[in-house]
This record gives sequence, C-alpha cells and structure tokens, in this order.
Amino acid sequence: MANTGWDEFEIGAMLRTFDGAIEDIAGTRQEDRNYSPNSSFTASVADWRIEKPIFNKDYCIDCQFCWIYCPDVSIISRDKKMIGVDMDHCKGCGICVEVCPTNPKSLLMFPELADEETEIASWPTKEEKEK
Amino acid sequence: MSEMKKIKNLKEFSTSADRFEGANLLCPGCAHSIIVREVLNATNDDLVLAASTGCLEVCTAVYPYTSWDASWIHIGFENSSTAISGAEAMYKALKTKGRLKQPDRNPKFVAFGGDGASYDIGFQWISGCMERNHDMMYVVLDNEVYANTGGQRSSSTPIGASATTTPAGSISYGETRNKKDMMGIMAAHNIPYAAQVAPNKWKDMVKKIQKGFATEGAVFINAVSPCTTEWKFDPKDTMMLADLATDSLVFPLYEIIDGHELNITYRPKNVVPVEEYLAAQGRFKHLFKDEYKYLIKEWQERVDANWAYLNRREEARV
Repeated sequence: MANTGWDEFEIGAMLRTFDGAIEDIAGTRQEDRNYSPNSSFTASVADWRIEKPIFNKDYCIDCQFCWIYCPDVSIISRDKKMIGVDMDHCKGCGICVEVCPTNPKSLLMFPELADEETEIASWPTKEEKEK
Repeated sequence: MSEMKKIKNLKEFSTSADRFEGANLLCPGCAHSIIVREVLNATNDDLVLAASTGCLEVCTAVYPYTSWDASWIHIGFENSSTAISGAEAMYKALKTKGRLKQPDRNPKFVAFGGDGASYDIGFQWISGCMERNHDMMYVVLDNEVYANTGGQRSSSTPIGASATTTPAGSISYGETRNKKDMMGIMAAHNIPYAAQVAPNKWKDMVKKIQKGFATEGAVFINAVSPCTTEWKFDPKDTMMLADLATDSLVFPLYEIIDGHELNITYRPKNVVPVEEYLAAQGRFKHLFKDEYKYLIKEWQERVDANWAYLNRREEARV
C-alpha cells in the first residue's frame, strides 16, 4: 500500500497504522508499537528545521510543560521524566524553549548544524533578575 | 461505563501514550495538534474520530501516511459531525441487538472541525447532531480563518482582522462583521454540555473534556487555536498568544450545562488590555494607524461587555 502512487489507490482505501492488532493502544508506548509504513511515525520532517532545540538535562525539573505544549509529539517523556527530543519529528518551532520555566532554560534553540556537546559545555549561566 | 482516567498533575498526564503522531504536515507551532493531543490523552478508552476538511484533516492524512492511531474517518467539509453521529447510532443499534464483538470497550465518539467547517459550512449538520442529542463530542479548532485554503474570512473572523477576502488597506480596515457567538447558539439547543477551552490552560481543558466524555448526549467544545500563518506571529509564540487570548478575556473560558447553567471556569488574576492581544498579531497591524485607533477602543468595550454579560448569566443561571 505504501508504495502505491497517489493516483493508484482504490476509492474507500483504508490505511492501517499498525502491522497486526494492538489490544490496548492507550497503554502501549511508541517504542513498543509495531508501526506499519503507512503511519506518519515512520516518516520524518527533520528537513523542515532551520534551528533545533538542544536539551540540557542538568537544569531540567521535569515539569513537562514542553511535553504538553509540543505540537509534534517530539518531547520524549517516560516515567514522568523528560529524556530527550525526537529529532525525526521535531519541526523546530521553538515552543518548548518558550515554555521552559527553568533559569537558565534547559532547552535552547541552536542552528541545525550546531554540535550538541559543544553547546552544552558552553551553556549560559543563571540570569540574575533585575531589581 | 469505564473508569475515568486520573490526571492529577502534568507529570501524571505525561505518562499518557499519544495516539496522534508527529511528521504530520501542520505548520511548525500549530496549536491544532496541541489541542488534539490534549483531547485524545484525556481518555484511555477507544476512540472513533472524524475530521472535517481543514488544516487538521489535510495535514494528518497525506497519502500514503496517516497520523492517527485510532479509527479515523476522512470525510467532507461539512459532515464530520454527521459521520460520527452515524457511527454512534450504529454502535448503539448493534449494542442493543447484542451483536458487538467487544461490548465492554465503550468507545468515545469525537469529531473535529475547523471554524470554517463548523461556523459556516457544516453549521446545519452540527445543529442536527446537537438537536438529536447523539452521544458524541464535537470539537471546533477555532483559528478564526480558512487557514487551509489561504486565509479567507469565515464567520468566526473578528472585526478588524485582515483576511485575504477582507484585506485591510486605504479603504477598508479588514473584516467588518463581528464573530458569531457559536457557544450561545449551540447552548440554545439545550445540549447537556458546551464549553470553551484553550490549549494553554491544559488542566481546565482536560477537566472539561473528561466531563464531556462522562456526559451522555451531545457535547460541544470550542477551542481557540492561534494560527501562526494567518494571525501572523512567530511560531514559537503560539502559547504566548493563547495566554493573551484567555487573559485579555477575548476568549473567556466557561461552560454551559443543559443550555442554561453557565460557569466561568477561569478568571485571570491580571486582566491584560485587549490592545496587547491585538498588537501581538500581524493581522491587526493596521489598527495601530491613527485613523483606525478608535477600533481598538471599540474592541475593548466589546470584550468588557461580553465579560459582563457572561458574569450576569453565571449569576442568574439562565
């Protein structure tokens, strides 16, 4: 089905997200699901990005604001902990950085080609509030 | 009835397994998918979904991909509501006849539509579903414009907004008609539950969605969805715009039970002037020219009057 051209599929076609059945979808995490090639999970929009978010876990307080406000399901949270950004599905909108409440922020936007380790090593320090 | 999912705080909520996938083609920073995720994650039950033609539909079902991990129907501009009401009627009939393979699964029926599909094109169909009181939920993703087809005005577009069919220029200040009061119209069907929600107030939203799922009968939800492309702001500012919309009372958050019992569910501590909400968006840029400044004052008066009206209704219970 996935290899059929846009003008070749039959009317009333049904796309199946998974290969085989999943009994309890709301209790199955993404890594345990058997996605079929028809699920957009298997596609990538990484080439949309001009800037990418880099996650510095040293400052993260696991508030999960980035998880709830991410439009692209790209913040990976497991067991109430934020563990990283899904770079295949992130479009680089920057909402996660805006909603991050820590000081300094634990997510910041960098140019797509920036090196993660270098940027984390030179992470900005705490900003003093102006009195 | 299946048990309601317990969501006490955001950490607990974040253990939800999403049933909406990334790599859809919605713009970066689109609020549509934030709203959809908050709705879908509010329950653990099976879902039967439909979407009217609009940004959400065309961006999440680009052949050969689908972004939905639930039964989802791709349907016309006007009839996501009727498709879901039909599915619900069929489910009820099969249940009565005892022909369901898994009668204990208790699925939820939800239809999504943009404001164009709901306020204009699908209006009659939604009205029918609400009048027949199907056990379903209709969610409007209200971005106040036909964003999918290039930014034409809809009957949800507010006064002064520049849209491609009501452009602002030397003769016109943009849209001249006020936004349709969809909440009032839907509540007038005497449906069990109608609510206005915003993605930035996730707790309020999840509470209302769960209340809607627990309600037997038709539920109408109006969700404000800041549109980075047509409202003309930076994609990273989506949540800031939603905050401004709720805190300036342009989008007050309230619910109407059985068509008369109105509850205001969010009262901002510091009410922001409407001017700040308008200034954050490119579509209202021209209002800050000297000749159109009187419109900002009128905006503030209109929003204040609406807030006073809602407060009076809350008090009077009518």
